[in-house]
Amino acid sequence: MKAVLPIAVVLAVITALWYVAAIWLNAPWIYDQAVRAEAEPPTFIQLVPLTMDQDRPVLPTPHQVAAELVKSTFGMSVTSKKSLVYHGWITISATLLGFVMGTGFGILLAVGIIHNRAMDLSVMPWAIASQTIPILAIAPMIIVVMNSMGVQGLVPKAIISAFLSFFPVLVGMVKGLRSPDRMQLDLLATYGASDAQALWKLRVPSSMPYLFASLKVGIAASLVGAIVGELPTGAVAGLGARLLSGSYYGQTVQIWAALFAAAIVAAGLVAIVSWAERRTLKRMGMAR
Amino acid sequence: MIWGIAAFVIWAGAWGLNVRLSHSALVQSRAGRLVVPAIFGVTVLLVWECTVRGLQVPGVILPPPSAIGARIAQEGPTLWADFRQTFLKGALRGYAIGCTAAFLTAIAIDRSPFLQRGLLPVGNFVAALPIVGIAPILVMWFGFDWQSKAAVVVVMVFFPVLVNTVAGLKATEAMQRDLMATYSASYWQTLLKLRLPAALPFVFNGLKIATTLALIGAIVAEFFGSPIVGMGFRITAEVGRLGLDMVWAEIAVAALAGSAFYGLVALIETRMTFWHPSQRR
Amino acid sequence: MKKIVTGAFLAAMAGQAYAADDVTLQLKWVTQAQFAGYYAAQAQGFYEAEGLNVTILPGGPDVAPTQVIAGGGADVVIDWMPSALAAREKGLALVNIAQPFKSSGMMLTCRKDSGIATPADFAGKTLGVWFGGNEYPFLNWMNKLGLATDGSAGGVTVLKQGFNVDPILQGQAACVSTMTYNEYWQIIDAGLKAEDLVVFKYEDEGVATLEDGLYVMEDKLADPAFEDKMVRFVRASMKGWKWAEENSDAAAMIVLENDATGAQTEMAQKRMMGEIAKLTAGSNGALDEADYTRTVAALMSGGSDPVITAEPVGAWTHQITDKALQ
Repeated sequence: MKAVLPIAVVLAVITALWYVAAIWLNAPWIYDQAVRAEAEPPTFIQLVPLTMDQDRPVLPTPHQVAAELVKSTFGMSVTSKKSLVYHGWITISATLLGFVMGTGFGILLAVGIIHNRAMDLSVMPWAIASQTIPILAIAPMIIVVMNSMGVQGLVPKAIISAFLSFFPVLVGMVKGLRSPDRMQLDLLATYGASDAQALWKLRVPSSMPYLFASLKVGIAASLVGAIVGELPTGAVAGLGARLLSGSYYGQTVQIWAALFAAAIVAAGLVAIVSWAERRTLKRMGMAR
Repeated sequence: MIWGIAAFVIWAGAWGLNVRLSHSALVQSRAGRLVVPAIFGVTVLLVWECTVRGLQVPGVILPPPSAIGARIAQEGPTLWADFRQTFLKGALRGYAIGCTAAFLTAIAIDRSPFLQRGLLPVGNFVAALPIVGIAPILVMWFGFDWQSKAAVVVVMVFFPVLVNTVAGLKATEAMQRDLMATYSASYWQTLLKLRLPAALPFVFNGLKIATTLALIGAIVAEFFGSPIVGMGFRITAEVGRLGLDMVWAEIAVAALAGSAFYGLVALIETRMTFWHPSQRR
Repeated sequence: MKKIVTGAFLAAMAGQAYAADDVTLQLKWVTQAQFAGYYAAQAQGFYEAEGLNVTILPGGPDVAPTQVIAGGGADVVIDWMPSALAAREKGLALVNIAQPFKSSGMMLTCRKDSGIATPADFAGKTLGVWFGGNEYPFLNWMNKLGLATDGSAGGVTVLKQGFNVDPILQGQAACVSTMTYNEYWQIIDAGLKAEDLVVFKYEDEGVATLEDGLYVMEDKLADPAFEDKMVRFVRASMKGWKWAEENSDAAAMIVLENDATGAQTEMAQKRMMGEIAKLTAGSNGALDEADYTRTVAALMSGGSDPVITAEPVGAWTHQITDKALQ
């Protein structure tokens, strides 16, 4: 509860700044129109209300976005194609599948890398290189190739999502699994512990803080991947499609509403991971 | 069929070679460290070439590496111009601004518990905005040239660096902090001498993730409007023209530049966090 | 001939007794009234009556129809002729089997206050263009005007515009590419008046190229079963188009129902349908050879950097439309 006041203060400041920015960014349009209509440019007092509820604002005001968000979340039946719940669910399902695939793959690679010298030397640089590939460029190709193999729907999107989320997990886990220091590893060696035992009893527990830090980044990356993956499928449905179609038709209010919906989803997913983190670390006695 | 067998033989042979190499004395040297991943990379390319030829994949779906290589050799000046626009102007500047801002923010909210409680959840929320969504908006605000791309990169790298730095600043143990307290060290002394060094492995973790994000951000932002130069521009334009070899040439340049950038940050990390257990070999 | 009869017979019997033939159609852009004929044919049961089970895949900015068909993701794609011919020259043997669009809807829309009154004023100005295969008509036009597009002095500055008309609204470009049925109205909706704008139609400037034709892979056409399927597809599609032209508002509503993003508005789609009907009017589906020759001539005349370098051979056929429209 202690956090409520600070958050409220910060939010109030941001909202105030937002309104100021909205007036500032939407004003040129009003002046532009006045010039073309050869009318007197409005005074500042007249200007402010004109910037609050434009149809195609450069920056929609918070209340416009909130109204759109509420309307398209609660004002529609969840099966309606204008409902954000409908689009959100499509994106979340691809995100979760991709996140599970990506995390699993990342952890497996990390385990391989710390145990196999050849893998460490050869895979790591290429895993890094793989992330520098602009995913939006190859997403259409992945979809086209999968399509010609007869795979459609959720899986291609999840693969793109996994492609983005495996990397933070890999980097974090390699670091985490290597975090036990020499003394601890030596102790296990004197106990005659096998590699597998060292992994389970020492490396995995000590990697937990690193794992969760990576998972938080990973789940956000998964969401981005799922949204990116929705674009080349013809932007049929999902939050990504909503963003993009808003962009085609210059409906800035819709873009911002979809953006906030996506951010709420992301925040929710990160919150779930954080909750799991707190529970786990507390039980392991690692909470600080 | 022949190509399939060839692909398998090459793969098995190269892997065997790598396993041997990685246990030999060669990897102790700097050159040896480069040989192993190089062999792995060449293997992947050869297997790719064999598969494309073996399955007769049309060039407009997946061109063979040989065609891509030919294209790189041929289009050098274009690739360089694109690289300069996207990487040197957009990605690098955005990276520098974004990482600095995130680092300073982390220190600022560390100093003030009030800000930490207020800003961190809000910051998490705002920074979780998916990049694809803000790209068109930032392009609208900052114009079509590199400035909007740098702005996208700033937003993209901010979150991972912030989260990691905040986590890193909490990485000291009570015992260590107590020791500093018994030395009657001030807040800034504790920060500079104990907590920041202890945070470095985390900070570098964030910085490394940010390197790859920076390049992707700059490229993706170009999809939403750009001058007619830049890696993202070239990729979209050439996909429509079925110049898939050029698309892959750009991707190769992106991967190369990104890896070099990552390598540089990793090198700095090794120099600065030599004391951390994960750096011991 | 016999096959056609059989095909028609099967079509008449279609439904329960025989499994319908699957056809996948890749659109060039998102679900909108630009493709009303196909959606209408589906909703009105014209495809079903021909024994076809048609899947319509919406496109988008990242979807190159040519790449989709090369990957086997679609049987038939909608594309613009310049892009299809360029793909053909790259070795992807696409053939135009029908051309429901008679006229081009492409325009360059400029702000009057940018000082542009005629094409001669373009020099030194910033012009917005779509890329990804849609830039050919523009580049071709600039070539004809003798304006460099590579940023050298005396030419024009080209901007890759995004998916909307923001560059002209924000004053970042003097002109943007628009379609008569879509982006032009977005500018109007955004508050600019028609009298604030100067419009150059490609059709009026003599640089129009054929848009929105149906393309298939050449090698598949040799297969009688595929040919028969396409004959039925084109016949039903053209029926859909003519129905959409006559029932403009109803067609717009059908499109709206098929829009999975839920972003389209009724007003915009009805208006778009009205504009589209003007472009499809005058085509019965068969490609007019004169239009084709004009497009090819325009594309080859492009000065130092023509879109296509050699006269295409076999890039179109009446094989399907002759049978479909008899």
